[in-house]
Amino acid sequence: MARAIHMIRPLILLAALSLAACGGGAETKENPVVSQAPVPDYTGPASTSPDVQAFKINLWENVKASNRCGGCHNATGQSPRFARNDDVNLAYQDALTLVNLTQPDQSRLVSKVGGGHNCWLAANSACADTMTVWIRNWAGAVASGGRTITLQAPVVHDVGSSKSFPTSSALYASTIHPVVKQYCARCHASNAGTPQAPYFADTNADAAYGAARTKINLDTTSLSRLVVRLRDEFHNCWSDCASNANTMLQQVDAFANGVPVTQVDPQLVTSKALSLFEGTVAAGGNRYESSIIALWEFKTGMGTTAYDTSGMEPAINLNFSGDVSWVGGWGIKIGTGGKAQGTSSASKKLADRIKATGEYSIEAWVAPANVVQEDAWVVSYSGGPAARNATLAQREYQYQAQTRSSRTDANGAPVMLTNAADRDAQASLQHVVLTYDPTNGQRIYVNGVYTGDADRAGGGGLSDWDDSFALVLGNETSGTRPWSGVVRLAAVHSRALNATQVRQNFDAGVGERYFMLFNVTHLTNMAQSYVMFEVSQYDSYGYLFDKPSFISLDPAARPGSLPLKGMRIGMNGTEAKVGQAYVPLDATVNDSNYSPATGQPLASIGTVVPLEKGPDNDQFFLTFERLAASTHTVTEPAPPAVAPPVNLPPQSDIGIRQFEEISASMSAMTTVPTTQTEVKATYELVKQALPQNENVEGFLSAQQVGIAQLSIEYCNALVEDSSLRATYFPGVDFNASVAAVFGSAGARDQVFNPLLDRMLGLSVGSQPDRAAVRSELDALSVKLSACGASCAADRSKTIAKASCGAVLGSAVTLLQ
Amino acid sequence: MSARLGRLTCAALALGVLAIGVAQAGSREQAKRIHDRIAGVPPSATVLDQMAAEVAAGRPLAAANIAMQSSAFYNVTLKNFVSPWTNREQSVFVPLNDYTATVIGMVRDDEPFDSALSADILYTAPGAAGVPAYSPANNDHYDQLEQRGADLKTVLVKQTQSALNGIPAAATAGLLTTRAAAQAFFIAGTNRAMFRFTLMNHLCRDMEQVQDTSRPPDRIRQDVSRSPGGDSRIFLNNCIGCHSGMDPLAQAFAFYHYDETLARIVYTSGQVQPKYFNNADNFRPGYPTPDDHWDNYWRKGPNQLIGWDAALPGSGNGAKSMGQELARSDSFAQCQVEKVFKTVCFRAPADANDRARVQIIKSGFRSGGYKLKQVFAETAAYCMGD
Repeated sequence: MARAIHMIRPLILLAALSLAACGGGAETKENPVVSQAPVPDYTGPASTSPDVQAFKINLWENVKASNRCGGCHNATGQSPRFARNDDVNLAYQDALTLVNLTQPDQSRLVSKVGGGHNCWLAANSACADTMTVWIRNWAGAVASGGRTITLQAPVVHDVGSSKSFPTSSALYASTIHPVVKQYCARCHASNAGTPQAPYFADTNADAAYGAARTKINLDTTSLSRLVVRLRDEFHNCWSDCASNANTMLQQVDAFANGVPVTQVDPQLVTSKALSLFEGTVAAGGNRYESSIIALWEFKTGMGTTAYDTSGMEPAINLNFSGDVSWVGGWGIKIGTGGKAQGTSSASKKLADRIKATGEYSIEAWVAPANVVQEDAWVVSYSGGPAARNATLAQREYQYQAQTRSSRTDANGAPVMLTNAADRDAQASLQHVVLTYDPTNGQRIYVNGVYTGDADRAGGGGLSDWDDSFALVLGNETSGTRPWSGVVRLAAVHSRALNATQVRQNFDAGVGERYFMLFNVTHLTNMAQSYVMFEVSQYDSYGYLFDKPSFISLDPAARPGSLPLKGMRIGMNGTEAKVGQAYVPLDATVNDSNYSPATGQPLASIGTVVPLEKGPDNDQFFLTFERLAASTHTVTEPAPPAVAPPVNLPPQSDIGIRQFEEISASMSAMTTVPTTQTEVKATYELVKQALPQNENVEGFLSAQQVGIAQLSIEYCNALVEDSSLRATYFPGVDFNASVAAVFGSAGARDQVFNPLLDRMLGLSVGSQPDRAAVRSELDALSVKLSACGASCAADRSKTIAKASCGAVLGSAVTLLQ
Repeated sequence: MSARLGRLTCAALALGVLAIGVAQAGSREQAKRIHDRIAGVPPSATVLDQMAAEVAAGRPLAAANIAMQSSAFYNVTLKNFVSPWTNREQSVFVPLNDYTATVIGMVRDDEPFDSALSADILYTAPGAAGVPAYSPANNDHYDQLEQRGADLKTVLVKQTQSALNGIPAAATAGLLTTRAAAQAFFIAGTNRAMFRFTLMNHLCRDMEQVQDTSRPPDRIRQDVSRSPGGDSRIFLNNCIGCHSGMDPLAQAFAFYHYDETLARIVYTSGQVQPKYFNNADNFRPGYPTPDDHWDNYWRKGPNQLIGWDAALPGSGNGAKSMGQELARSDSFAQCQVEKVFKTVCFRAPADANDRARVQIIKSGFRSGGYKLKQVFAETAAYCMGD
């Protein structure tokens, strides 16, 4: 049973997209780009109505070429003849049977080319998207109304036991890795001559294993991409494809057989299971694309070309060079030095159309790899580091814009930067739009909001734009402005989007989303009851589960009162180890909160859970601590035992005083207060040069210099202060001659004993030997006294200060 | 002369090391070490005699208590013990501030230290000569106390934050709501800094040591990218480990901010600070903070080893109850003892003997009313030398 909620989409398109997303399909020889169809000018009857004219301009002109639909579906060819060149009105009549103007993406034309029927591009999905755009353009306003989604009841699967990839790469390294290293490493390794993602043959086993996981089907090994590529698609077999595929299958089997089966815990209260692609496709919101002239959605997922699916000819298809790889959920990852660049001839349409309007917008959904890169071009339409038409770049936390106009130079200088303090650029998925109009010049919007940064250059004319430049993502055309990160959508518009339009495109989001309906009827006894999530592949390594709600597809069913508690997301037979955001959930689904149309929301938050086997093979289910009458008590595992502490190596039992302790100790030893003017000034000068901690092994000679300076200052203050020195050195007249103060041992006792008593302490065995220190002081005073008649008047004070400083600035003070 | 002085000093230093290396520690040496380690300065001859007598009589704790009567214990040892907790750089070269002064006052008065993160308490020096009165909008009061060399042992007086800085008594959370802490950790940012630094300073753990990826991530805010640089593995393996526990705890600070213009802490009762919604577009399905309700998810899983107080509910509203949750944990007490041990013994507890002693001291600390002076005394006695 199905219920309409918002929009209907054909399941056939879903299947086509899922195939594209998993990287399948034989390589197809791409037809040359045909910007102008090689058919005679139209000479048939004029369009008989405005709708025929809209058909003619938007669809017919694009498909009538002989190397597109017109090659067969022409006036004398195969029916339906919607591409006939003799009478556009007759073509229109046939075309009407092939399109759904209300929902263009459900048109027969789209499903045919999307299914591979004479797609003129290497990727069927690109043909489908382009065809959709043409039909939507024809439909105009008709297509934008009344979107509904029909929730499809999924096939009921019980939660089965499953195998999950081991975290260690050891098993891979001993089974599959040797084979792929031997036969696939010429391309699928990061150090290959022409590196081609995925790098499952990388010499680094961990990296190779990470890349190979989505190419291995643990449950049905013969469906592994590693095998299918050789067996069915004849992709670079090294001898005979059948035997090569067998060789690979043997290794995949060996790997899979080595992985134990994860048994589903029978105690769990579980929903039924389903995979991502069994969900109902959720429509993206309506994007504003009236003036779009180039669009890359990166849906292809394989090869080295990203297709421009704007439907605006010629398509600027971007060729990858350097480190560029596809990411899951649509997007490309550009590593350092990589770029995705279009030809200058195709890019010329940008200059032509933007010069005509005098305004433009560059729009991108990007996830910068980091916020330290600068001079990093995200989207650029330019001809080298010094010549450009327009560039959107990242500079650490800022976005940067450069547009060549009548107000700037040929390189778009002066550049415009977003305010550094706002940190607009984040290493997270962001919607960034650069607009340009003649009045305001450049404006940057991040996540739908104008950053408020004004363009210094202001608005000008764009008539000087050079149409020989090329559009490039992730770099400059010269390769000298590398940007790293993920691009999930990029677009160029020939108009400056206004704030409302930017917000509309931000709200529309990016990537495909699915409504996943986890059947819980067997638990609730409520007819066709489900816990519904909106799920998308968030990136190559995770799924986003969002907006959980409880809903029944039976409009007559009512929940009564259903307790729902402790919900967890299960994957491949076991509960996900990380990302269980709904464990604290404790809700009751009841009639008053339940709406038959929308169900009952269970939580407003979303969560990311890790991808294991990839969207094709990961099977999801839900578990509950309680749902209706079913309960399961979850027991937290006991905390891991604390590791026995490790003994530290022996450490010194003594230490040194740190800066303030040194000063305080000197103050205590000299009686000079720490606030004495000169002392305080010297302390402030040297304190950061003094020891900061007690570790004796960290003592430096520079610290001793600081200690010496400070000790001299304290001693100077002591000796110069008549009051302090009179108390400290009772009976000593420092104004007397050197001979009088230091001439005899008895006289020296008067000076040295107070110093030693206060500084060494009395009878403390851990201090330096008093006699040895006294001996040093005696020797010092003798040397300093040897000035005879030339002694300065204050020589006695000087010797006293020196003696004081020698003791005070030594280990006597420093060590503790 | 200076060159000669330098040589002499170096000689004396070498002599000193030699002398200490061979010395036998008697009661005078042990007493001096206790004083050095507690007060940071050598004892006077009289004090040394008194302390040595106590040590000789087998009462090293009494000796330590004498050392703690030195003003230098408060002005030097405690100040430098606390200063690194009060700034992001963990620098010891910062001016005296209300955070430091409050710890010093609490130690002096034997205030139970488990109230340090929740009490309505503030120490100022209302009677100090020539010092401007306390202001919640600048640090001049404490700056001048330090500049003038005020004796913190005598001038500090216990006050309440609610009376002096204008936030409601129920919104005070001890050291967390001091001006210095706010200036360092509530400034700009997302207020997570207050949580992280409190964890580092008072539970002796940085985020790496508490990360646990098995907790529900439902309370992680919208600003945390779930796919940093386009790679959700980084989030699922790393970011989630800290944020899943930290964000629901740091929600307690939702109403706090340090206003740089006013230069003071701001408390907006009932109104979540805008900083909690910074970069909300990084992950729209993330958690939008509605109030200051906090939950301690780390009561389950490996972090239950932090030793949470079973008598507390593990959730609440606001910083006061969250501060109490942290300070009543076993790790809080352990951390205070280990910090003192490091300060006094110059090493982390290194072997089984040290660790056993730390446990004993911690038990006494917890059962004896959380008096830090007692911890200093017992640790100094343990490390006074043989």
